[in-house]
Amino acid sequence: MTDDVGKTGCSGCEEASEEELLARLDEVIEKYKEKPGALIPVLQMAQGIFGYLPEVALKKVAKGLGKPYSEVAGVVGFYSFFSTVPRGRNLIRVCLGTACYVRGGMQVLEALKKQLGIDVGETTEDREFSLEVARCFGACGLAPVITINDVVHHRVKPARINEVLAQYAPEAVGAGGRSE
Amino acid sequence: MEKISNQVLICTGGGCIASGALEVSAAFSKELADMGIAQNTQVIETGCLGPCAVGPVVLIYPDGVFYQNVHIEDVHEICEEHLLKGRVVTRLVSHAPGTDRSVAEMEDVEFFNRQVKIVLRNSGIIDPLKIEEYVAREGYQALAKVLTEMKPEEVVSEVLRSGLRGRGGAGFPTGLKWKFARQTESDVKYILCNADDGDPGAFMDRSVLEGDPHSLIEGMAIGAYAIGAKQGFVYLRAEYPLAVERLQYAIDQARDLGLLGTDIMGTGFEFDLEIRMGSGAFVCGEETALMRSIEGGRGEPRPRPPFPAVKGLWDKPSVLNNVETFANIAPIILKGAEWYASTGTEKSKGTKVFALGGAIQHAGLVEVPIGVQLGEIVYEIGGGVPNGKELKAVQLGGPSGGCIPKTDLNVPVDYETLQELGAIMGSGGCIVMDDDSCMVDVARYFLDFIQDESCGKCPPCRVGTKRMLEIVTRICNGEGREGDIEALEELGTIIKDTALCGLGQTAANPVLSTIRHFRHEYEAHIKDHYCEAGVCSTMFTSKCTNACPANVNVPGFVSLIGEKRFDEALTLHRERNPLASICGRVCFHPCESKCVRGGLDEPVAIRSLKRFMTEQETEVRLPQVKVNTENAAKKIAVVGSGPAGLSCAYFLARLGYKPTVFEKEPSSGGMLVQAIPAYRLPREELGREISMIESMGVTIKHGMTLGKDFTLQGLKDEGYEAVFLGVGAPAGVGMGIPGERGAGVTEALTFLRDYNVHGTAAVGTEVAVVGGGNSAIDAARTALRLGAEHVNILYRRQREQMPAWAEEILAADEEGITVLPLTAPKQILRDKDGKVLGVLCQKMALGDYDRSGRRAPVAGRNPDFTVACDQVIAAVGQSLDAKALIGDLPVEMNRAWFKVDRATGATSVEWIFAGGDAATGPASVVEAVGAGERAAVAIDQYLTGANHAFWRRDVAVDVWFDPDADPVTTARAAVVCLDPEARACTFDEVELSWNLDTACAEAKRCLRCDYGKIPVAAARGVGAEVQEEVK
Amino acid sequence: MADKIKSPADLLAMAGKAKEDLDLRGGPKEIKVTVHMGTCGIAAGARDVVVAFLSEIADAKLSNVTIHQSGCAGLCEMEPMATVSFADGSVYHYGLLENRDKVHAIVQSHLVGGKPATEYLIAS
Repeated sequence: MTDDVGKTGCSGCEEASEEELLARLDEVIEKYKEKPGALIPVLQMAQGIFGYLPEVALKKVAKGLGKPYSEVAGVVGFYSFFSTVPRGRNLIRVCLGTACYVRGGMQVLEALKKQLGIDVGETTEDREFSLEVARCFGACGLAPVITINDVVHHRVKPARINEVLAQYAPEAVGAGGRSE
Repeated sequence: MEKISNQVLICTGGGCIASGALEVSAAFSKELADMGIAQNTQVIETGCLGPCAVGPVVLIYPDGVFYQNVHIEDVHEICEEHLLKGRVVTRLVSHAPGTDRSVAEMEDVEFFNRQVKIVLRNSGIIDPLKIEEYVAREGYQALAKVLTEMKPEEVVSEVLRSGLRGRGGAGFPTGLKWKFARQTESDVKYILCNADDGDPGAFMDRSVLEGDPHSLIEGMAIGAYAIGAKQGFVYLRAEYPLAVERLQYAIDQARDLGLLGTDIMGTGFEFDLEIRMGSGAFVCGEETALMRSIEGGRGEPRPRPPFPAVKGLWDKPSVLNNVETFANIAPIILKGAEWYASTGTEKSKGTKVFALGGAIQHAGLVEVPIGVQLGEIVYEIGGGVPNGKELKAVQLGGPSGGCIPKTDLNVPVDYETLQELGAIMGSGGCIVMDDDSCMVDVARYFLDFIQDESCGKCPPCRVGTKRMLEIVTRICNGEGREGDIEALEELGTIIKDTALCGLGQTAANPVLSTIRHFRHEYEAHIKDHYCEAGVCSTMFTSKCTNACPANVNVPGFVSLIGEKRFDEALTLHRERNPLASICGRVCFHPCESKCVRGGLDEPVAIRSLKRFMTEQETEVRLPQVKVNTENAAKKIAVVGSGPAGLSCAYFLARLGYKPTVFEKEPSSGGMLVQAIPAYRLPREELGREISMIESMGVTIKHGMTLGKDFTLQGLKDEGYEAVFLGVGAPAGVGMGIPGERGAGVTEALTFLRDYNVHGTAAVGTEVAVVGGGNSAIDAARTALRLGAEHVNILYRRQREQMPAWAEEILAADEEGITVLPLTAPKQILRDKDGKVLGVLCQKMALGDYDRSGRRAPVAGRNPDFTVACDQVIAAVGQSLDAKALIGDLPVEMNRAWFKVDRATGATSVEWIFAGGDAATGPASVVEAVGAGERAAVAIDQYLTGANHAFWRRDVAVDVWFDPDADPVTTARAAVVCLDPEARACTFDEVELSWNLDTACAEAKRCLRCDYGKIPVAAARGVGAEVQEEVK
Repeated sequence: MADKIKSPADLLAMAGKAKEDLDLRGGPKEIKVTVHMGTCGIAAGARDVVVAFLSEIADAKLSNVTIHQSGCAGLCEMEPMATVSFADGSVYHYGLLENRDKVHAIVQSHLVGGKPATEYLIAS
């Protein structure tokens, strides 16, 4: 039941059509609908399939599991992991756990905001990057850390943020940062 | 020359003998005898010291230096360099890559040695993907044991007797939890594991899940058997993809092998396990909320009772423990409750895993017996705070915990003690904070977290924390009000008493604990708009300027230097600090330790740049002075011509006053001229800046001793309207040991003053200096220059703890001065004629942590020893004989110093102000300059009723700067010094000049943190700002 | 996957066999290199370290070395880390192996030459 959940990026949403994605969701619902407490795992997998949780998917989940739509929406709203808006091709999550905070996580976040021109929870216009914050990836010894599509980047220096971004979208950050 | 007793420990374990340790030992004995120091140096052959691979190894005490690969050829060098001259032979001490930590010093290995591994017994040792490796290390044998040999009740009682308490936070006895669930009748029960590691900064669960997942599975299976459950759930956070993957793999493996499922090991026991992933809600760490989340709903807590042991998941009896708790179970079953209970304290048994993070040398996971001292975790295991910063506090327990200050490092880390201090054990997050952390900001951070994570169900948590966050945010923004601290305390207490769940009840802890231990930081934010740590950035334009006690516009003058605009740079500097040339030489540069560039490569060399800038001054340019005939007519006295007095007189002069400075000694400058040697501060530099101040209408009268040649009351009677006391801390303190009275024993300040002011000071051939501060180093280096053959510095604590500045200690080292750490003088030995023969010393050992956050020196077990010498210079402290100065005036004191308002220098007598060392105890030049300025502004305000400090407005510099350019890593320009051999016999300045290119390139390394900020600050209006800004 | 464990005796048998396999003494594989692959280690580049060891060992034509992965060794700030264990029970922790040269040095000096690469040694 953990197959699709870990993927936070928008894997597969480029190629597959909405019908295909919905068909995959149907399979998931079919598999889990008898299990007690299936709602959250199914939502996690739906997010893995679509990259986010579009209304059409939520309605399908509600219907499939026999739950009111309002309950499904309530659960989605409660957990920060779920997103109802599409994300960029690359999802950046900045750790603001205590260790990262003490070691300058905030400055990393500020540098990213400035560089990308977006705020937390937003996506760049070219849909390259989305920016989120998180509470601890458990890599505290290497603080401050960020993850981009689940790859952990450690000891990130605000002044060098371009070099990290350039690995994902060289054009989007101009010269891609200077390095020597 | 007779030296102190050293011990040379030579490892003669099998490995080292094989590599020639016995020959090395013999060589040491011979070499020591040849050098004539055999009677004071003990050669000991020890058992195996451990690192056989790098043998033969030699450990030299008292320094604790560990040499490896020592061969006969090396012995001479070690004896000559280390034992005789006190210099470590670095060639034989290996270094960790990328750091200057020496790998070979025993402490580093202590990261591993001091730990007791139960929970982490397999982590990092076995392959987590191979169940065989777990089984090979007694894996699943505890499960086999309970299934075949023990009744469920016996399992419960074994766990109960072990004293194991829940490792997730509150520390509820695990056995008791199991007992309640066991006793509840039900055909369906659940065993649950919280693997959500909700506390940001605690990652021990992740480590177990990734490194040893079967230990969790086994622990849960045993728990299931004990309470009568057939199904378990592991609630695991989605941020840990690798942990999810490995645990799932392990569950599948166990199921394939029949260790999960039906009829486990043929005993008929049935149990299976499923992972449920958290979706990012901190509140789901609360047990009722977690269960609600597994059921598929919004993870909101509900009131207890009924407790989960009665009505839990899907209303069935359930037990919830965390990963670490379960990982303890198998060893307890296999080795027995008594074995487990033999570790830990009376009330808290076993070990605890801490996730060490933040400002700590060895960040990582450590498992220690419960009850170890906090200081041991931070220093002995964690290696202390890196980058030469000071420890400030340790945050334990995450958002529900609190900050423990460095004054409490001696407390045992157990559930009860931490609670008494306002923190909690929590899940084991242990974040070390240095002086770069602002405690108000930390409180704001946690409140923000809680506010974000509050499920919103109960008003105290939802609304109360919001109110608290508003207040703390206001304080951080420099808009705090009087009464805010009290309001926070009151709100915090209400939330604590009324919130529904554990998260809410503990939500105020980070605020309450920081107020309790760091109230002064809150007060400084509110009253002085000052964030000492340099974090709350709305209150300053750059961290360096904020760190400067005189508030010099650092990025301004540095960037002007980069454009070779030296006059403008110097003028800007003297807006806030007249003693630019002096500070360019002797300032301990707090600005550099806060330099943002330090996070990228190295801090900008601000002090050296300042020195370079003043070297370019061909003709002294006077600062802007506002002529004011009314002020000029007012008589103001400044007592003492040290940095505080000079600064006060300078700023008074800029406001049009013509103050008179009264100086006791024949030369001006106070400690600058009396104590600081010329090799650090050439006298012409000092004279240049003093003349500048005199030329602004300041009169300095020499040979005027307060209390003897004039009195404060006398000044008042003569028509002086205000007096500033900048008298410093001019008197020495005795050592308090027998034999210190009489010839051959001098007090450091007297010694320095004799030479610096009067041109001559008696110096011995073998000199022992007692103390570890800057005066001790100044006295030692001066003695050396005056002809002493050997100078030893005796210091009672460890070398790293010497209050003297690191670069000064290093310079003393280079000049051949020996520091003997952990050495406390007991008696001055004299012959029958009273001539000093030496200092009888006691070797100190390190005791418990004291209130200063350092290990207290306590008498060691080694025999006393003698440091031979014919002169002793005591530099153990400074004092002030206030009574002789103030007579009968009711000036209040704060211990030995004048009690003043930090922002104004006002004393308890309206017309008397004070600042510098006289008000703070021995401190630095730049702090005295800052205090002088504040007092000048306050004196003017006292006399005129208004603030006229026109120099306090922020001025943006028009230096070109590209804020979008990415900085290129460049090394900091090094200080160039006279060769140690050449300088040790002269008073020529040690530091040499930079060339123009070096200086400009260095100045351009400035990241211009002030860029774009000053116009905004200035827009507040100069008049208004001058009125309100009194810092 | 091995056979099902149907009794505690099966478990003991499995443990015995696993121990034998793990026992380095006397076997052809005398040296064990364990690369610590927790989240920290992987973030710091532990995967590259495994690859580096594999190819360095192949280059050195060593046949008596096995490479294992394991979880966090606890000392995150020294990641990526590897532990080298020998048949005589001696254990060496190496840290900050962020480039191939260091792995090369360890393989050449320690695994081939028998002399620990002290420069990169954290503890032993």
